[in-house]
This record gives sequence, structure tokens and C-alpha cells, in this order.
Amino acid sequence: MKNVRIVFSKTGRAKYVSHLDLVRTMSRAVRRAGIPLWYTEGFNRHPYLTFAAPLSLGYEGLRETMDLRLEEDMPYDRLVERLNEVLPEGLTAVSAAEAVCKAGQLFAAEYRITLYCSAEAVRAALALPELPVEKKTKKKTTKTVDLKPYFANATVKETGETAVMTVTLPSGGADNINPGLFVTALSGILGSEIRVDVLRLRLLQADGTEFL
Amino acid sequence: MKQKLENLFLQVQKPARYTGGELNSVTKDPDQVAVRFAFCFPDLYEVGMSHLGMKILYSQFNNEPDVWCERVFAPDTDMEQLMRENEIPLYGLESRDPIRTFDFIGFTLQYELSFTGILNMLDLAGVPLRAADRTEQHPLVVAGGPCACNPEPLTDFVDIFFLGEGEEVDLEVINLYKEHKQKGYNKKAFLRACADIEGVYVPSLYDVSYKEDGTIAAITPLDGVEPVVRKRIIKDLDTCYYPESFVVPYTDIVFDRAQSEIFRGCIRGCRFCQAGFIYRPVREKSVDTIDRQSHDLCRNTGYEEFSLSSLSTSDYTKLEELLDRLLDWAEQEHTNISLPSLRVDGFSEELANRLNVLRRAGLTFAPEAGTQRLRDAINKNLTEDEILDTVTKAFKGGWTAVKLYFMLGLPTETMEDIEGIAGLGQKVVNAFYTNPDKPKGKGVTVSMSTSCFVPKPFTPFQWEPQDTLEQLREKQQHLVSSIHTKKISLSYHDAKTSFLEAVLARGDRRLCAVLEAGNKRGFNLDSWSEHFDFDAWMAVFEECGVDPTFYANRRRPYDEILPWDHLDYGVTKAFLINESKLAHEATTTPNCRQACSGCGAACWKEGVCVEKR
Repeated sequence: MKNVRIVFSKTGRAKYVSHLDLVRTMSRAVRRAGIPLWYTEGFNRHPYLTFAAPLSLGYEGLRETMDLRLEEDMPYDRLVERLNEVLPEGLTAVSAAEAVCKAGQLFAAEYRITLYCSAEAVRAALALPELPVEKKTKKKTTKTVDLKPYFANATVKETGETAVMTVTLPSGGADNINPGLFVTALSGILGSEIRVDVLRLRLLQADGTEFL
Repeated sequence: MKQKLENLFLQVQKPARYTGGELNSVTKDPDQVAVRFAFCFPDLYEVGMSHLGMKILYSQFNNEPDVWCERVFAPDTDMEQLMRENEIPLYGLESRDPIRTFDFIGFTLQYELSFTGILNMLDLAGVPLRAADRTEQHPLVVAGGPCACNPEPLTDFVDIFFLGEGEEVDLEVINLYKEHKQKGYNKKAFLRACADIEGVYVPSLYDVSYKEDGTIAAITPLDGVEPVVRKRIIKDLDTCYYPESFVVPYTDIVFDRAQSEIFRGCIRGCRFCQAGFIYRPVREKSVDTIDRQSHDLCRNTGYEEFSLSSLSTSDYTKLEELLDRLLDWAEQEHTNISLPSLRVDGFSEELANRLNVLRRAGLTFAPEAGTQRLRDAINKNLTEDEILDTVTKAFKGGWTAVKLYFMLGLPTETMEDIEGIAGLGQKVVNAFYTNPDKPKGKGVTVSMSTSCFVPKPFTPFQWEPQDTLEQLREKQQHLVSSIHTKKISLSYHDAKTSFLEAVLARGDRRLCAVLEAGNKRGFNLDSWSEHFDFDAWMAVFEECGVDPTFYANRRRPYDEILPWDHLDYGVTKAFLINESKLAHEATTTPNCRQACSGCGAACWKEGVCVEKR
């Protein structure tokens, strides 16, 4: 029994696949690929398959991760090849390797956010003394969070009609900031709904190296 | 348009229903195909994507190099509103092109309450509703499926109906269309030529006249077409096309699994059941074919479950042999087999264990009626002893819940039969408590669910009046007051939707105006209770001067011309009249394997009709 971590991308039409649907889609893809999966024992046997960090509906991701437990060995490049033969449009396996980091080591994620407004407006918002926004908590209540410190590391570039922001935000168990919160805050400031494309570039450990 | 559409996806619930691009969906180059076909299911994605018939025809059409078939479903309310606001017409999921530019728009007619959804989809597509208003520039609107056996309420809107099984006749029509396209296409000439294909009903080529009392005076064929249109059947299911893969949806759908059809038709002949008559004769697939097709499907979809599909799984002649074969690979590959409409009693204990029959399926019976007399009248051959035997065995195995399905308003039903329903439920409860090995500290739950009987065309009950809403309500009340235990939980179906179903099921062409007026009022997806507005329906009937009780609650004499009398499903009217008379004497008819009762389906000389008995 071996845990394998697959790095995959989720782009294009696949961005509309919700996390729950992604789990189902991947589990079927692995079956189609004829990968020798390990099944849980017990009454309701199911394949062992986990994801480090769910990606919000509508976001794209370049280096998402999925862990599989195999019953017998299979060469990693063969695994990637087999998966790509059966994955639907928008989902692509990038690499496979033995899982190094434990799930708890996931600390942050790096995003590229394309905002359909001027870079000026984005910079102005980031320059405000604070950026309060309502955030839902797990207990289904809301609390006010100041985004300002989280977005201190953000860089903004102007690209034609859009502003492209690169930012690293906490992700994982302890703290979680969804980039959509910034869009909510910005829309509030500008008084109109801002369209946005979110791309998660990679997942990171606390020391800034990639979660692999 | 495509960018505008993309912007909508994140504003609606479950956008994966509208994006397309699922695994095994088929994309072609529009410039390289001769015919574009929009296969429409007039209900939501989750419902339509579960339907086996659509999966078969979608794959089969796309198997033709120069045909591109795409899937189209009814958008949910939020999506529809955004589409209308942003002027996005109904589109094919694969190409996202507007279906009004396609050659064919095809609908499957699975239930009467979806008829309003058809008109709404045409409207959303930007296609004129009435066939007469559509020219050579518009797509042809075609339809098939079980409700095509009386398509009269839709005749103003649909150019062509396919009667019976579609695998052969649909492609014949598509091929004829290609020929006509090459030599200069004229809609009228094409429709006339189609009418010569067996199984094709072109409603504009039949004129219906009415008597003063509102009944039909005559159905007159025009332009030299055959006076009667006969349905099509597939003679050999082993050689018939069956898909090697299904489109695998991202989002959860109602039946999210592979499906293998094991036979068509049903030997039983329950007199209320339309499917039991219109799909005759019973034809089976061989064990080899089912085994191969099931395995292919599971391999190509990755589904962790597949079900055997038919009207009555237990009637497959080689069921044990089949399951043995299937389990050989299914167990190894961690694939579950689900067996709907299965009679548990006939199984060996070993096989039942391997299948985990009880764990998955639960215990469900459909006695349909509360007394043996009424069960005989409807020809439902399930006896009280059989039910009690099986539940007793199941209770011994630790089972504590049973579901029972009944119908209210069956022909010849009396209040005594209603009390019988409560009585049967009580006997099941008693069977639990008289069982010495009953699980300690656990109670029993008997869930009884009652629907309202709807008389359907091509059944022995096609002449019967449906109980009025008042009668049905009274029977529901009587049933409630006949139940004296809290171990029985009772649920019943809204009689109002059943009434509308009864009107549409046996309606004629005068209902087209009603459906059109309903479309103007925004009627849509009436099988969903949040959409169905009974009072609005009654207002529309009134406005159109149509009395719905004329269709639902009137006993029709045997010699009346019925709206579907020019359609032939093999089963003869003489046989149905005889069955109707036997029902009123509470006399049963043997099933097709016990003896041939001469229903008429033997005209095809196939399946059970030519089996050795």
C-alpha cells in the first residue's frame, strides 16, 4: 500500500465542477484508467482518494493535488499517462510522486486574480487603512475580517482592461482566506459587481516551498 | 453569445448542468456534418441525464459520421430567467450553438406533465410553437417515447412523431432528410414522404372531425397516407445498437450509474399499466450480450454501480445464470449491481448474499390494491400470502422497514378495498411482532404510499372514468381513518396533478389550444410541485372553452372513436375490450409465458410470442 500524490490542473470547462463533483469525477477516472486502487475495508467499501485543498466553484487551478492509495505499484509516469487518457476536458494530470508533505503541512496558496476593473482602483483599495469584509464562519454565523494584512504581499499589474493581482493567502487548517473576499470588498467600494477570474497557481508550506 | 453565456454560469445553482464537456460527450466539426440534431428532454438535467432511451439514441446518432446529436435539457428557473434577460436562446450542450439553427429538434415524451416544458423549450429556443408557422428555415420538430401513443394534445406543435422503438425509424427519417436536402428540400414534400415509413406519424396528414356531443366523428387520412400508423419494434435486441459508453455527468443526477437493458416489454399484463401493453411483445437480450455490454459500459464510464433495466427484472428467464456471470467480474472490480423491480423470494440464499439484495434495495412491494378481488380485477398477481411470507423472512433477517405502494381510484374500487389497504399494512405490522426472533428494542416501520389511478390509452382501462377529485379525497380520508397504528406511515399523491395527467393522457387535438394558452401564462415543468398551479390550469381550460372532465371523468363507450384509434401498437381493441370485461368480473388473465391470450402483438412473430411454452 502506497500513497501517491497526483498534481493536476483544473481549467476551462472543468472550473464549473464543484469540489464534491470533482471527487466523484476523479474516482471514476481512476477506475476507468485501470489503476490498482486500494479500497477501504468494511461494510461500504470505497476507494481511498483525498484532496489537499478544495477549490471554489468557478476557480481554475494549475497545481492541485489528489492523493491515492494503491494496492500494488505502478510507475508514476505510467500513472499520469493512463489518467490523461481518461480524464474529461479541463482536467489534466501533471505529475505523480510519493506524497512527502502531511496534510497538516499545507499552509498557503498562491493565486493570480484577474479583476475586470482598472489597476488604479485595485491599488487604491489596497492602500486603504483597512479592508473590512464579512466572512462566513463554520458555525454559519458571520464575522468581520480585515483583509489588509493578508493582502500586504499582493502585487498588481495593469493588463489592458484588467488588473492582474498575484497574492499568497493562508490556506489549510488554521486560517483560510478566499480571494473572493477581496472581490466582495472591492465591489463594495466601487459600488458595482466586479467580474473576476481566479487561478490558483500552487499550494505552499509554511516555509514558502511547494506543498508536494 | 458564448462569452455572455459563460458569464451566467457562476450566477446560477449547479452550473455543471449547463456547461457541457462531460466525459464521453461528443463534439464534431459543424462544417463536416450534414445533420444537426438537438435531443431535448423536457425536464431538468438531473432527470433527463438519467434516462436510458436518450443515452441510447444520443450514442447511436453520433455513431453516424455525418450526424451530430447534442443534448438539451430544460434550464432551472434561475438559469432560464438569466437566459431570457440576456437574450441567450436555448443551446446544445456540446457546441453551445442555438438549437434554432439545427436541422431537427427532437423531444422525448416520457410523461404527460412534461408537455408544457416542451412548449417552453421551443419558446426559449426562439422557434415558432406551431408547426404550421415553421418554414424550411426552421428546424423540424419531432418527438417519440411512450406518450407518443397518444400525442394528439401536441399535434399542432410537432411535425413528426415516432411510434414505438426509435433505433431504426429515427435514422431512416434522418437519412431521408439528407436525401431531400440534396435534391432541394421542401418541408411539405418531405413530411409526405416520411409518412410512408412504418412507425412515422405525421399529424398534419390526418384530419379530425367532431360530433356535436364533443366526441370524435372521424379521423381522416389526407394525401393518400395509410389510415392507421403502426409502431416500430426492434426484432433482435442482440444485434440492435447499444452504446459502449455513456456521458458521465459531473454533477449528481437521479440515476447516476450504468444501465443495461435486459429485455423489453412485460409478460404480466397488469391492466392499469400502459408500459405493459405498448412495449409488447417481450423480447430478451442473451446473457452473453448483457454481460459484454455491461462490462464495456463500466469500463468506459468508471461507474461503480450498474443496474439491470427492464419492467420486471425477475421475469428474465435466465436471471441466476446472468447474475453469476456478471458477479464474476463485478465483485473483482468493486462494482455493485442494482436490481430494480426484483422479487426477492425466488433467490437462493447464496446469490442473495452475494448481491447484498436486502442491504441496498430495501423491501418494497407494489400490491397496488388492498383486496384480492381488486388485485384480480387489475390482474396484479401478487397475493397477500406472498407478501407476508417474504416480509416474515426479512424480519427474521433483522429487517425492520417495509414499503408498500398502492393506487386509489382503480376501476370497480369500493370503500371495502380502501379498508383492505389499511388491513394489509396492519398484517405486515403484526407479522413483525409475532416473529419470535424479532430484533430486540426495535420497532417496525411500514411506509404506505398511495398514488391516484390515471386511465391510459392502450390499456384495458382506457374507457374508464377517473375518480373525481372529491371521490379521491374522500378515499384518502377514509384510508387515513382506517389506519389504527402509528407503525404505519401513510403518504399520498396530490390528486390534482393526477387529474391533469388523466386529461392530457387521453386528450385530443382540442387540448393544443389549452397548452398554447398555458405557455403564454408561463406554464412549465408541471411535474414539479413548485411549478404546478392547478387554479391557473382550470382558468386556462375555462378561457379555451374546454371541459377537462370530458376527458378525465367520463366513461367512454366501447364504440366511441378514441383520439388514438388511428395508431396501432399491436395490441388489438378487441383484446382490450375483452380484458376490460374480465376486469369487471374480477377475472385474471394468465401471463404471456403461461398462455397466449391473443393480444395481437404476435403479429411481429418475435420474442415471447414464438417461445416454446
